[in-house]
Amino acid sequence: MAETASPTPSSTQANGGGNGFKLPDFDTLKKSVVDSQVWRSIFRGGVWKDTPRDRSAHIIGNVWLHLHPVRIRPRALQWTFTWGLGGISFMLFLILTVTGVLLMFYYRPTVDLAYQDMKDLEFAITLGKLMRNMHRWSAQAMVVFVILHMVRVFLTGSYKKPREFNWGVGVLLLTLTLFLSFTGYLLPWDQLAIWAVTVGTNMAGATPGLGNEGPFSSLLGMRINNDVRFVLLGGTIVGENTLLRFYVMHCVAVPLIVGVLLILHFWRIRKDSFSAAPIDPNEQKVEVWPNLIVREYIAAAGCLLAIMLWSIWMNAPLEFEANPNVTPNPSKAPWYFVGLQELLVYFDPWIAGVVLPNLIIVGLMAIPYIDTNPKGVGYYAWKERRFANIQFLLGVAMWFILIYIGYYCRGPNFAWYWPWESWLIQQAPPPPTWSVFGPKGDASLPIWLGLPVLGLGGVFAMVGPKLIQRELPELKSTLLFILAMAAVAVIGNVAFGLPWLQGFWLVFFGSLYFYFGFLLPQKYIRGLDWTRYLVTMFLVVCTMGVLLKMGARLGFQIKYVLTIPALSLNI
Amino acid sequence: MRKLFYLFNALLLASFLVALYIDHDTEWRKYQKEFFRAQSAKLEERAASAKSPEEAKALRDQAKGLRDQPVMIRQIIVKDLDAVDRCITCHVGMDEFANPTLKTDLKEQPFTGHPDLKGVVKDHPFQKFACTSCHAGQGLATTAKAAHGDVENWEKPLLKGSLIQASCARCHANFETLKGAETVAMGRKLMENHGCMGCHQINRVGGVISVDLGDIADKPLERVAPYNFSLIQKDGKPLPKEEWKLQAWIEAHLTNVPMDFVPNDPFAKYNKEPIAPSGMPDFTRELPKGGADAITAYLLSLSHEPIPSTYFVAAAPKPEPRFGSAVEHGRFVFKKYGCAGCHGVDAKEGRRNYNALGPGQPELASVAGDEGKLHEAMSLGREPTLPETVGTYTREELRAKIQNGVPGSAIVKYNPDGPVPPLYMPPWKDKIKGAELEDLLTYLMSIAKKDDLGF
Repeated sequence: MAETASPTPSSTQANGGGNGFKLPDFDTLKKSVVDSQVWRSIFRGGVWKDTPRDRSAHIIGNVWLHLHPVRIRPRALQWTFTWGLGGISFMLFLILTVTGVLLMFYYRPTVDLAYQDMKDLEFAITLGKLMRNMHRWSAQAMVVFVILHMVRVFLTGSYKKPREFNWGVGVLLLTLTLFLSFTGYLLPWDQLAIWAVTVGTNMAGATPGLGNEGPFSSLLGMRINNDVRFVLLGGTIVGENTLLRFYVMHCVAVPLIVGVLLILHFWRIRKDSFSAAPIDPNEQKVEVWPNLIVREYIAAAGCLLAIMLWSIWMNAPLEFEANPNVTPNPSKAPWYFVGLQELLVYFDPWIAGVVLPNLIIVGLMAIPYIDTNPKGVGYYAWKERRFANIQFLLGVAMWFILIYIGYYCRGPNFAWYWPWESWLIQQAPPPPTWSVFGPKGDASLPIWLGLPVLGLGGVFAMVGPKLIQRELPELKSTLLFILAMAAVAVIGNVAFGLPWLQGFWLVFFGSLYFYFGFLLPQKYIRGLDWTRYLVTMFLVVCTMGVLLKMGARLGFQIKYVLTIPALSLNI
Repeated sequence: MRKLFYLFNALLLASFLVALYIDHDTEWRKYQKEFFRAQSAKLEERAASAKSPEEAKALRDQAKGLRDQPVMIRQIIVKDLDAVDRCITCHVGMDEFANPTLKTDLKEQPFTGHPDLKGVVKDHPFQKFACTSCHAGQGLATTAKAAHGDVENWEKPLLKGSLIQASCARCHANFETLKGAETVAMGRKLMENHGCMGCHQINRVGGVISVDLGDIADKPLERVAPYNFSLIQKDGKPLPKEEWKLQAWIEAHLTNVPMDFVPNDPFAKYNKEPIAPSGMPDFTRELPKGGADAITAYLLSLSHEPIPSTYFVAAAPKPEPRFGSAVEHGRFVFKKYGCAGCHGVDAKEGRRNYNALGPGQPELASVAGDEGKLHEAMSLGREPTLPETVGTYTREELRAKIQNGVPGSAIVKYNPDGPVPPLYMPPWKDKIKGAELEDLLTYLMSIAKKDDLGF
């Protein structure tokens, strides 16, 4: 407290008399502010004394924080349990919302102006380039982090009872994240945008029944101008209406749905509590403020920092202005859908673009209900949940391998180019493809033979592992199988001139199938009840079927294993 | 934890400041400041040595006006032309509001004024024409490289040198007689003289062997395969990637042998049937100096992008040419329909027709196994050299030949397994008729080589 000559009339509580004014000390001033009617009407509670009561009230009394519990088990706080992946995903959603709203001030969703507005953002608007970069890279990062979050939740078994429903909500959120990213892809209105969206929406046109190019579409009277693709595009090609539709979906409709589901997702976490193990009823809980909040803050700040730095360093791509008359060669979907695009090489569009993705979504949602293993909730359980972990990670790995192939190994005409090969080199046409079972002229063997062969094969693939109730030695039987396949390859080479590379392919894919599709199910789930067993095996056999088809196409040029054109059934 | 909290907040603030700095630290700000400083200094200098005090005051006022200019993005917006051109953000001496006289004393770019203020600028005021309608480039951009279009993903880079005359010819239908458009007029003339119209149409006038060039300036760059760009040579080296633009593509057809960078697939390596290389003849030697540039400038003027009618300048009709003799008229007809495209200027020598028969080809059997030699031999295929062949026809036979043409399938191949020769004689009966046809025949009969006996 110092005497001052300055006639500041700031002090309302001039204690002590005299001629001069005395500055009030900080504590008194603070108290007077906090106790004022204005402050009290906004913030509950008095001066912060950092008591347990204060800390609890801070969580309960704050609308933004009250989704948190007041206290939490220390085990749930460990970085290495959650890695902050869910929180980072949410932070990316917030960054996207803020930068997205800022971008909306400058962006006009019309064919004439959209591309020009991208140029304005780049060249004339203060921080426009940074905003667009941040929005672009956060969107890509969000796809990655939501997937990583899902992998983490799977590996710690956090989807198991009582959290089955929230896992389902999470799967929906993943799907919507991809859809949000996809709808945003169109908005810059450059060549990348319209052709990626053309590829994506053409897949919708192959929906069975509902898309004009899908099987059975004639039953519902589907044409190019009334099918599901038309609804999505607002026309028959990607144009003005599509841009407006995608804009509204991207900026309003889908974010609203995501917001609703996010609230549900968070609320269920709060209600179902953290899964982190071990759960000890006598455990001393710690306070969420500040222990959890500071961790969340640091994860969020780190995330924002990384996005900022990345956006300063790398510019979002912008190609030539969209031109519906010029198709780039190759045209690729956004990277997270390139895996599905790659599947188009192996399957018809309605299988690759509609059935398989839906199967993935439904299969993911079904996991908590078919996984009856009670172990491994709240910790990384490698040994106790070997089957579940291996099958799940195999699926994730396949997803990313497909993306890698589609993104890096496909050049002009979607032909195979190794990543180190120049696309400027012309390639000889690929060897002709053939089909195994199908009508005369289309395939080598007739349908009447194919149906029973494939049917019996499928039934055995599904049921076989459960029929052998004896424990098979894992390593030994695998090695035996590989040797047997190798013998087949050698005999094939010597007797029928099977090339060595194809022989290797045979051994490789055959063994993969044997290990993941037969041996592991036999070892781990032969005791499951029939319903769960069949659902699980259906998903496993589908995954392995995709893998085998890839091997058949890449190694043996088999276009279809079975083709029945009358039913649009080609597999 | 607390330390991390402070650290991250500090880093966030720092990175935001860095972003703000990068956003602010633009080349155009430096250029504008430098222009205002240097130009006002020059004006002060001139004021110091001015003859009258009034003149000195006027110059000082002008200098002060420049110094008081805000540093900002400057643009010319022309609704009619869809132009938003920010060029004057750096070329600020050409901003009529910052520098009303439009004159500058500075000689280096981007500070110079526009040349020919009394002529071309007076006729094309900036507020009506903006910049890119003549110069091309990326008007919205505010960095030199991007604005000049020397970046990927921009179709139309700056039209440098005499190429800018392409823009004159877009609006001025009278460009052939227009002062200042001599290059593009020469391009048009060269196209007529060398028979380009024999194969190419321009807005449906001309031959049908190759593409219509009427909108060649609108050709999307993505329609040109990067593979073909990679084969183009410029000054003995491969064309650098930054120059893979439409103007280089057009020019390459005249400065390279088209067959070399459009080799196609003569040995059916990538396709079921062999495809002959580009049939476009080699013009590298016969065009005069600057000819390739002139033709490129003319072709770059051929666009279907609409121009507002108020910008269009019509041409007076050309006078009908008169001829002293039937032969002279026939020679004109030969040129008019682009016969020179295949049969050579003044019908001197037939041009290359890949895998047709031609002089100097070795026995097929002697080269059959060797792809390189076979390719060389097929490259020797030629269109007929008229003085040598027309003499073997009667007038009636020749008339029928011109009227009905010779389809590609009827041309005898040198290598029967090779591709169909790319050039062929189209039927002319709907185009060359009456007196034109008769005089053309007279001309052709007159150039036929005669043997010693005069037959």
